[in-house]
Amino acid sequence: MVQKKNGLPIEIVGLTKRFSSVVAVDGLTFSVQPGRVTGFLGPNGSGKTTTMRILLGLVSATSGSATIGGKRYIDLANPMRSVGAVLESSSFHPARRARTHLGMVALASGFPASRVDEVLDLVGLRDDARRKVGGYSLGMRQRLQLAVALMGDPEVLILDEPSNGLDPQGIAWLRTLLQYLANEGRTVLVSSHLLAEISQMVDDVVIISRGTLKAAGPLSEVGAARGPSIRIRTPHVDKLIEIAAQAGFSTRRVEDEVVRIDGVRPQELGPLMANNAIVIYEMVQEHEGLEQLFLEMTTGLTINTNVTGI
Amino acid sequence: MTKLIRSELYKFMTTSGGYVLILVTALLTALGIITAFINPVQNGGGDHFGLPIGIIGIRDLIGAGYTPAILLAPIVGVICVTTEFRHKLITTTLLIEPHRNRVIFAKVVASVLWALLLCVASFVMVAAMGLPLFVSQGGTISQIGPQLGAVVPGLFLAYGLLAIFGLGIGTLVRNQIGGVILALGLTLVVEPLIVIIFKDLVHVTVNFLPSRDTAAVAGGLHAGHGGTGVDLLSWWEGGLALLGWGLGAMILGYFTTFKRDVS
Repeated sequence: MVQKKNGLPIEIVGLTKRFSSVVAVDGLTFSVQPGRVTGFLGPNGSGKTTTMRILLGLVSATSGSATIGGKRYIDLANPMRSVGAVLESSSFHPARRARTHLGMVALASGFPASRVDEVLDLVGLRDDARRKVGGYSLGMRQRLQLAVALMGDPEVLILDEPSNGLDPQGIAWLRTLLQYLANEGRTVLVSSHLLAEISQMVDDVVIISRGTLKAAGPLSEVGAARGPSIRIRTPHVDKLIEIAAQAGFSTRRVEDEVVRIDGVRPQELGPLMANNAIVIYEMVQEHEGLEQLFLEMTTGLTINTNVTGI
Repeated sequence: MTKLIRSELYKFMTTSGGYVLILVTALLTALGIITAFINPVQNGGGDHFGLPIGIIGIRDLIGAGYTPAILLAPIVGVICVTTEFRHKLITTTLLIEPHRNRVIFAKVVASVLWALLLCVASFVMVAAMGLPLFVSQGGTISQIGPQLGAVVPGLFLAYGLLAIFGLGIGTLVRNQIGGVILALGLTLVVEPLIVIIFKDLVHVTVNFLPSRDTAAVAGGLHAGHGGTGVDLLSWWEGGLALLGWGLGAMILGYFTTFKRDVS
């Protein structure tokens, strides 16, 4: 039987961080709920790591707030018991053994030495615990970082790109572990710049780009939010955008002669174009996958996958 | 706080750097002991090997750990801080204890305690090598005894205060190699230059240099005079000056560097 934990919600409200002239995070607001694995997605440099570091008290916010269970990280009574974090894979002295590193964490946090063996078992590093960390592979270092994060049996897990360096077997293991931890009632926030990598392990997604929120919600809803869309190549782009907008459809100009119209079916659009004498070179209905949506939201790029000619 | 201090000591105990410093302290002390027996020959020039001359000579023997104190004790503090940044351990450290002032305090205590181990190593060398040599040259233990009180507590104090000074440098610089070079450079290059440039101008300036403060706090060791001809401060004045160097560097480093974002 799964022992339930009292996960704490994460609340990010109007968070902004400026590094001199660069705005890394710009008025970001979202929340992460207990009992679910939330994917924090965005391309490299989009502000994910900065947001997580502000949440963990490592970076100061220019404005806004980032709280865990309503408190700043620095105000938590025993942070390691409340929050476990994986931020980078090389946060070790290379001459220390894994067991020694974990012993140091246990000593500083007031956990019993027996906890070291427990977390080593949990991440599958027991047999390599006496090796120096300098000789570890990237995947093993990620597991060791995860062992540190799990040391305090925390209610909240914040993991920055934890699948970096993991082989497919390791990613499958991580997916199972995170789902198990979330099922126990914990709050799990896991960042990645690769949606495909974590789409099978998350329940909710928060998508950001250039420090601003692009979408947030359950994975299934975010993917389906936009509905069907039709991509049309025509020499009359401006006219098409005008009549589509008048009919209440959302349009996006993709290229000089290409426009995408969202939330419309071919049966609706066809007569509209015929009545306005719009010449069509190409017309395709796109079944947008979440990956495509993610790319568009975060980079503005459009890719053609899963298309069905009409 | 106790957990944090024990953890900082554990960091020293589980890497080789701290032990290397103890070993080098012992070796440099051995050199200091030999130096204490080398006396200038009056009128004839040159040196001869024999009993240390006078009270200062005996104090130089007991305080043979003076040179490793000014060279190595600051490095204890430097590596205590800079290792955190070099290996990105600071992230884990601040996740365990997000109050940075507490982290610094734990590091101060741990650095001072480890520096005191260096001092112990120097006195072990004096006892194991210096005293037998002293007796073999015709000296007696009764000559040593009265000088212990002037040197031993002061040298312990100096090791501790110099470790705080090093911690301040490490906090200020954060780069390990840069911190070590700065700590050594201050003693080996900057101080001698200041002595050369300012000794005839401002005695006060010369007197407040860390190595001279160390000599003052450890009973007025001969090495601390450095040929300046300027009297050292009293032991407590030297101690306060050393403390000022340490706290000054640490406070400056804390507010300008250690408080910065860890990204």
